[in-house]
Amino acid sequence: MRKLSYYLNGWTILSVIIVLSLLSPMLPIIGGLLAPSSENWEHIKEYMLQDYMKTSFLLVFYTAVGTIVIGTSLAWLIAQYEFPLSRFYKWALILPLSIPPFIAAYTYSGMMSYTGVIQTTLRNVFNMPVNQKFFDIMNIPGAIFIYTMFLFPYVYTITRVFLTQQAASLVESAKLLGKGPWAIFFKVVLPISRAAIIGGVSLVSLEVLNDYGVVKYYGIQTFSTAIFQTWFGLGDIDAAIKLAASLMTFVVLMLVVEKLLRGTKQFSYSNTKVNPLPKVRLTGFRKWGAFGYVTLIFCLAFLIPVIQLIDWFVLTWGAIPNDEFTTYIRNSMLVAGIASVVIIAGSLIVGNFQRFAKGRIGKVLPKFTIVGYSIPGAVIAVAIVTMFIWLDRQLGSLYSAWGLDSTLVLSTSVVMLVVAYIVRFFAIGYNAIESGYDKIGVNFSLASRMLGASVTKTFFKVDIPLLKGAIISGLMLVFVDIMKEIPLTLILRPFNFETLATKAFQYAGDEKIMQASQPSLIIIAMSALAIFIFYRLLDKEDAK
Amino acid sequence: MTIEIKDVCFSYRNSKELAIDHFCMTIETGEVISILGRSGSGKSTMLRILAGLEIPEKGEFRLYEETMFDGKHFVQPEKRGIGLVFQDYALFPHMTVLDNVKFGLSHLSRTERLKRANEVLELVEMGDYKKRYPHQLSGGQQQRVALARALAPNPKLLLLDEPFSNLDKELQYKIREELYSILKRAQITSIFVTHDEDDAHTIADRIVKLDKGKITKIGRPCDMLGTPLKRPEVILK
Repeated sequence: MRKLSYYLNGWTILSVIIVLSLLSPMLPIIGGLLAPSSENWEHIKEYMLQDYMKTSFLLVFYTAVGTIVIGTSLAWLIAQYEFPLSRFYKWALILPLSIPPFIAAYTYSGMMSYTGVIQTTLRNVFNMPVNQKFFDIMNIPGAIFIYTMFLFPYVYTITRVFLTQQAASLVESAKLLGKGPWAIFFKVVLPISRAAIIGGVSLVSLEVLNDYGVVKYYGIQTFSTAIFQTWFGLGDIDAAIKLAASLMTFVVLMLVVEKLLRGTKQFSYSNTKVNPLPKVRLTGFRKWGAFGYVTLIFCLAFLIPVIQLIDWFVLTWGAIPNDEFTTYIRNSMLVAGIASVVIIAGSLIVGNFQRFAKGRIGKVLPKFTIVGYSIPGAVIAVAIVTMFIWLDRQLGSLYSAWGLDSTLVLSTSVVMLVVAYIVRFFAIGYNAIESGYDKIGVNFSLASRMLGASVTKTFFKVDIPLLKGAIISGLMLVFVDIMKEIPLTLILRPFNFETLATKAFQYAGDEKIMQASQPSLIIIAMSALAIFIFYRLLDKEDAK
Repeated sequence: MTIEIKDVCFSYRNSKELAIDHFCMTIETGEVISILGRSGSGKSTMLRILAGLEIPEKGEFRLYEETMFDGKHFVQPEKRGIGLVFQDYALFPHMTVLDNVKFGLSHLSRTERLKRANEVLELVEMGDYKKRYPHQLSGGQQQRVALARALAPNPKLLLLDEPFSNLDKELQYKIREELYSILKRAQITSIFVTHDEDDAHTIADRIVKLDKGKITKIGRPCDMLGTPLKRPEVILK
């Protein structure tokens, strides 16, 4: 009883409410698995489900392989060797993350098309007629190329940080035992970074399954596109829910496999003393080989598409009226701003609860905040719409009492979109805040309480000021992720509500690729800035 | 009888063994008590229980007739009026020395708050460092500020967790003597936890020896550890 009254304070209650509201939209999806099936669902199950699964699997598998090869090789080169521009590339190789894959997808297909820069140059300058077959990237291998090039930084960053901080003594002993660089890479580096690599690859796989923009533009049938098609094309939301539920099962299976692959060995860089890996200076052909390889990847994954976008941007300058454009920017900032502030506020509350809670609830509850991030956008979209239509029905009498005509108030407002963002991106904010709490520890807060300040006063006077860095970086990461988001925004936005991302997607879809470059470049610039600041901050703190 | 601790038992989650096993003692006003024990003996746990940072399974704790906990009540740490000096001092890094000391005085008016803060800073001889931030101070200075901060609200009981463990040997002797004279001048009832017999010997009026959560001995230093070391002279103001 005494324990209960000790724990049952406002913080616990609020935290439970926050986590449950993050989970509640998922209930109809799980319920959908058990609901009786419609005719459409029977048809989908019979003829199409296998294809969706096969395509989604192919995309995930080959992208995983691609990002492992590129991500780990780059991580090893940057962590261990010095070559021209290697210090610049340490940061620059994260930049591909600032280009949303759907923007990369249309940029590349624009460049490769008959009227694109590559073919026209070959035709006009070199007078070389080319076989179109070799220039078509709007297919499954093309999508895999796009995903690999623009998602590998997930693997690269995690692995590089791990290698720089944890591998020094192992690599050095391998050297002393007479192993050459290739043997060290395959026999030591790869096995010890297994957990880090798998961690990165599972993020990549979740992104691939979440993606809607690339596959829609390239006309590839996956779970995501199928969910939307069933929903809007066939108007069968129950079948869409069932599809979403199958996709969720797929994700859960994948996460189980990840846990198994990772094994029992958990790694963490916080506890171990940082013992940096000394760099080896490369010379001769090795030096230029490493430089050439890294530069090639950087060009393909960042420089070339950005230059192309800037070129189109200049060509179409003024094509979108200024006031329209400011509206898109304002809308983007508005929804991203509100959602990220709510997410960080919620994360601060749950995080504060988590670090003082001693019971099982305290350990388990925060783990559920990750759910939204592991579930693809298409599934969340279905879930949120179902929930909001239900809410509107419950509130129907209230609406008529207020004299509102419509019966769908919430589900046609921007609130629905913001809620969806919060469900999907809560984990990103929570991670940043939780590691902030980990860094400051509990003693400052306990000291404050011993001096007579309540938990709430402590929170505002001690915790918040100490967490400033984590709060800023959390806000930034969430904000940028929302700016780039595509499926949720497309489906859940109110009628006529355009953001930079939806506009870019729309222009590209309407074959106005050049116009799409304007909103795209703004998204990329903002993301790049945020990524740069965030990783700079992180690196400075590590260096302390 | 100032402080009464009766039959306190505590065990950590996932552990069947008692970390504190029927702890009983009474303490008089102004006494300096040392809880002495090896690491893992439960000495810090006992301190955290008294502070209100851990919830005991059973037992009672009364501070000047006021119940801090028993079978029915549990007073939250911020309501106990107990001061605690943390092992790592836990000085708020975003506040100056003065603001750190003023933190626990929000019940006072502005002028009184400043007056009291200055008073305790003078007591620990840190009056010249008010504007500094914790990271600009040496280990010994930080400790004195932490002590001043804990003393400022006039706690009924002061707890100190391994007060010398973060200092190098030479400093340790000096600070030990200073601490003793500060505690005596402030005439405050205090309990400090240490693993070092010399510390206990120099400062404590009574020593409680703890092993695996059980009290093995209570007594005056001279009765427990042989001839006492020379005590520093105290000038009572």
